[in-house]
Amino acid sequence: MTTRFLRRLPLRVAIAVLLVVEIYPLVWLLLGSFKTQNEFLSEPSWALPSQLNFGNYIEAWTQGNLAIYVRNSLLAVVPSLALIIALGVAAAFALEVLVWKGRQTVLLLFLAGIMVPWQMILLPLFTTYFELGLAGTLWPLIITYTATGLPLTVFMMATYFRSVPHEVFEAATLDGAGMLRAFWSVGFPMVRNAVFTVALVQFFFIWNDLLIALTFTISDDLRTVQAGLLSFTGEFGQTAYGPLFAAICTNVIGTLLLYLFLNQRVMKGLTAGSVKG
Amino acid sequence: MHNVLGDRRAVIILLGPALAVYTLVMLVPVLWSLGLTFFEGNALFGFDAVGFENFTTLWNDPRILDSLWFTVRYAVVITIGQVLLGYLLALLYVFALRKASSLIRTLVFFPIVLPTVAVGLLFQQLFAIAPQNGLVNELLNLVGIASVDWLGSADTAFWVLAAMDIWRSMGFYAVLLYAGLVEIPDDIIAAARLDGATGWQMVWRIVVPLSMPVLLAALIFSINGTLKVFDSIVALTNGGPGDATTPLTLYMFRTSFSYGEYGYGSTIALLLTVLSLGVTLLIFRSSRRDVSGTDR
Amino acid sequence: MDAPSLPRARRLIPVAASVSVIALLAACAGGSSTGGDNTFGLLVNDDNQIVQDALTSLSAGACTEANEALPLEIETVPQSGLDQQLQLLGGQDALPAQFAASGSPAVTKDLDEAGHTLDLEATLTELGVIDDIEPAALSTIENLYGGFIVLPYQFNIEGVWYNKQLFADNGIEVPQTWDELTEAAALLQEAGVTPLSASGEQGWPITRLISGYVYRSLGPDALEKVADGGAKLTDPEYVEAAQAVADLGASGYFGQGVGSIDYDTAVSQFLTGSAGMFYMGSWALGAFNDPAQNQIGAENIGFFPLPEVAGGAGSADQVPANVGLPIAVSAEAYTDETGAWLSCIAENYGATSLGDQGTISGFTVGDEAVEVPALTQSVQDTIAATTETTLWFEALFGAKATTTSQQNAAPLVSGSISAEDFMAMVQADLDADK
Repeated sequence: MTTRFLRRLPLRVAIAVLLVVEIYPLVWLLLGSFKTQNEFLSEPSWALPSQLNFGNYIEAWTQGNLAIYVRNSLLAVVPSLALIIALGVAAAFALEVLVWKGRQTVLLLFLAGIMVPWQMILLPLFTTYFELGLAGTLWPLIITYTATGLPLTVFMMATYFRSVPHEVFEAATLDGAGMLRAFWSVGFPMVRNAVFTVALVQFFFIWNDLLIALTFTISDDLRTVQAGLLSFTGEFGQTAYGPLFAAICTNVIGTLLLYLFLNQRVMKGLTAGSVKG
Repeated sequence: MHNVLGDRRAVIILLGPALAVYTLVMLVPVLWSLGLTFFEGNALFGFDAVGFENFTTLWNDPRILDSLWFTVRYAVVITIGQVLLGYLLALLYVFALRKASSLIRTLVFFPIVLPTVAVGLLFQQLFAIAPQNGLVNELLNLVGIASVDWLGSADTAFWVLAAMDIWRSMGFYAVLLYAGLVEIPDDIIAAARLDGATGWQMVWRIVVPLSMPVLLAALIFSINGTLKVFDSIVALTNGGPGDATTPLTLYMFRTSFSYGEYGYGSTIALLLTVLSLGVTLLIFRSSRRDVSGTDR
Repeated sequence: MDAPSLPRARRLIPVAASVSVIALLAACAGGSSTGGDNTFGLLVNDDNQIVQDALTSLSAGACTEANEALPLEIETVPQSGLDQQLQLLGGQDALPAQFAASGSPAVTKDLDEAGHTLDLEATLTELGVIDDIEPAALSTIENLYGGFIVLPYQFNIEGVWYNKQLFADNGIEVPQTWDELTEAAALLQEAGVTPLSASGEQGWPITRLISGYVYRSLGPDALEKVADGGAKLTDPEYVEAAQAVADLGASGYFGQGVGSIDYDTAVSQFLTGSAGMFYMGSWALGAFNDPAQNQIGAENIGFFPLPEVAGGAGSADQVPANVGLPIAVSAEAYTDETGAWLSCIAENYGATSLGDQGTISGFTVGDEAVEVPALTQSVQDTIAATTETTLWFEALFGAKATTTSQQNAAPLVSGSISAEDFMAMVQADLDADK
């Protein structure tokens, strides 16, 4: 019994270290959200706040416009995520399962999109959105997120479709269903767990995006959460640490809940092995 | 048989919208920007054609070399760190923790959820020397080592950056790779066990080859992400000290938007794109058999 | 295989429907764009709270009439995104009536050359309110931008703030020369306090010491010569200045880890008494006059201009001054209604800013008696007695040289690059701009 315990000891220690490394920042963030500015500047960063005051949260929500930022983030992220999945999965199916001339080239074209630095498309897009009169809305964000999310989605979904035996689709169409029907009723459900994984990945990419949000949100009413976090820094470099931490905490708790909720779905599907080839 | 899978109408309906959006919003602007590599100026004051001048500037710019070297070093170190640690974690989940891994998986995944601004602040404070020691220097002092100004010198700043980005994304890669590992049929593992394969031997001979496709996908994904690193560097070091941690993306962003040299910025972006493309093709080529799937 | 999956496909339909609803909402949530024609728009970096607050209070007070004709509409961007937005909006001729015109005067001048900024000298003269501008502010603006093209919403002077108590305890007199400054620093260091609090993370608090030294040793036109090409930063007399500042760092007078000290930490070090001196602009008065931040007491803070360099051509009477992040008026968006706003601002901004915000602007305060804290009053007196102002190190540099200078300030004082290398790097960027 003791030898078994000793044998497993390194593993246990490793897991314990891992947990500390992962949990400490959460605690640090939460503690930080209760601290005053002076506590930030003159106490060590691991010190406890002197009292639990919710003033920082109130300030973040009232002066920091956090509610507007959260609304904007949701309005930009949810539609673009839905579009990415709808367009991306269909395209991956067409590229991987269907057989036609030139599909390899188009797949590579999408793959090239993973390599292009996003900084490169900002100026042309800004000009275009402006000419089209979209500049004062959230449309530029939705459109840009959808397009920039497609390459990775197509690439990943194509990989998943590859692991599904193609006889399945052939059989489905032989039953009299059209190819579109085969995609809708066989293809999509077969990779639905992969869809959740990809959606999760894309969600965090878009939610945490700073570059695109900063470029296309030309007014305070349009700012997303990440761009909004920058507004806690002052003209000469002053930072309102307490409210900033409160804003970050609110953001993290929200995304964490969503993740826990989705995580169950993703993992359940994965462990059931339904994407097995 | 191929007739059924060659339904032209289905191809157009399924692929059309994605291709249209992708072409209009990504490909066209990219080509537009590529065209601007032959111009000088910016949106404010108009553009003047300058021929290949931007390319000669690029060739002679000493900062390009520094940025390029930093970008490559960063991409290699982070990619290896992310994928290796992610893979080890995935192995841990599948073989050591098995069904009980859900909670740990979630916790390790969690940092990717944090806003970059927050992660940058966290690591600044962990490695702080002023106004008071951060946790890391405090621990060093405990064992009798003097405090180090981690973000004050180029070498240590690089490693703090590496630690931050690996910490941040290893859980993400672990989940990606985990999805590949659980697909390996149990009977193959069981058969290998019967053949006397144990521990690392089995991992190396059986598990790694079988999870190669997803491992390569993770590798391509990681190298392309790290070559284009932007947010996390802006949040932690802002390219400093000096410009010791300035990757091509940040140099390009500053050139285009702060210095108002959009044409030259596009030229730098082109260099980066070519670099990413080259690396990806290299990985592809070396593993054609596993990933490209042309055999079908 | 397919039969049980069909209902799932149906379930996606409401999802798709709600997506389009959300998309519609998104379109509505947008509101109007920045370039609205019938508002008095102001595009400003979001951290510039003072101007936003003062204009908002004017719109409800003295300028109600102008505001009814042309309502004030403030749009904010993070400072880091400002240059990008100026480029993108300017390229579309969509700049609002007033806009913050970049932290780099070179960019402001470029905007002027491209015809985006209004000539305020002519406009304010025509409106009959030119006398409401402080002459010192006017000359600072002309020095910086080559013409009166930005509004002096702020007027700051810079120098060394010191802790009177710490000076008295250690028998230190207010330094009159650079050597006395280093001696004072040495005494403070012996006493266990950080002699000079400075933010290396920001960079500019350190490079301003270099320009301070240059102005004292070579005279008030020293950096103009560099801008004209008549002198180079790599000339020995300029390198000497960078060396003098590097020496301060080498002696440890900035404390350890100066590169990671941010602006707040630097202020806090001074205001909690752990640093004896602090080079900063008068915009910090807000923090100095705030008892919550200032634990040493406002009466305990003194001010002296950066001291003279022995045998130098400059004098301590020449005080560095600036107008903060400048705000220009769009030439394209100018109308009679904008003019009404400008007259009202010129007549009332000075009193509002000083009375409500406690900050000093370049507009005259008028006859109204405004009560100000003693420290603020002493700064006002210094401004009133100043006849000649100087600029900051990067004032005449392009954006690229500015970035290089500020980024390499911390490596300069931490000793990882030499004074020669520092000046050579900045000079290389200056040359590249030409």
